[in-house]
Amino acid sequence: MDESEDVPKDFIKLKSEKLSVDEVSELVISPYCGAVSLFIGTTRNNFEGKKVIHLEYEAYTSMAETEIKKICRDVRQKWPSVKHIAVHHRLGVVPVTEASVIIAVSSPHRAESLEAVMYCINTLKASVPIWKKEIYEDEYSWKENKECFWANSEK
Amino acid sequence: QVSVLYFARSAELAGLRCETLSVPRQITSLQLWEEIVKVHPRLAVIRDQVVFAVRQEYVLLGDQLLVLQPGDEVAIIPPISGG
Repeated sequence: MDESEDVPKDFIKLKSEKLSVDEVSELVISPYCGAVSLFIGTTRNNFEGKKVIHLEYEAYTSMAETEIKKICRDVRQKWPSVKHIAVHHRLGVVPVTEASVIIAVSSPHRAESLEAVMYCINTLKASVPIWKKEIYEDEYSWKENKECFWANSEK
Repeated sequence: QVSVLYFARSAELAGLRCETLSVPRQITSLQLWEEIVKVHPRLAVIRDQVVFAVRQEYVLLGDQLLVLQPGDEVAIIPPISGG
């Protein structure tokens, strides 16, 4: 068995088409890994009593990809046994119940991939230049992640 | 001459997504903000909620001295909401 053939890879994609859980999990599957952990972020239909029609995402694409690569690099430092990492984020309109982000991580044993997936989504929300607009029936709102250190939390 | 990129609420307030601006080669990040607000006064309302990304590195609005090269990308980054 030659594990050097299965070089750890990062799969990062920002796209406007519907995301596929099958596609993202297949990217990280490895014969040397017994665990694949997944996070799927989906669009909720309500916020503070208002009905959400859909979300719209935009990104500073080149910097977003760079920041996600930094997250992958950090993951590999913290959990060296992690094999493959895939982060797919949707841009443009995302209807309610559809996925806006899918993160998949594979590792030989489950603890590392579970922790790494949580780290990825938490850090993405704090540092990747992507913005979401919530569209309600008669207005809209640019959302602000509480993880974002330059947002005003007292409003 | 730098490329200024506007995103999310800042793009709505400025009315555009991208433009070239002439600024001094050495300038603090706060002075750079003030130059941009001269061109787009409506941006003033978000001053306390934005940071810059200069050559794709985050920079707070303040005394930090920036050394800009022609063609550098400077982006206005309102509070992010990815994921």
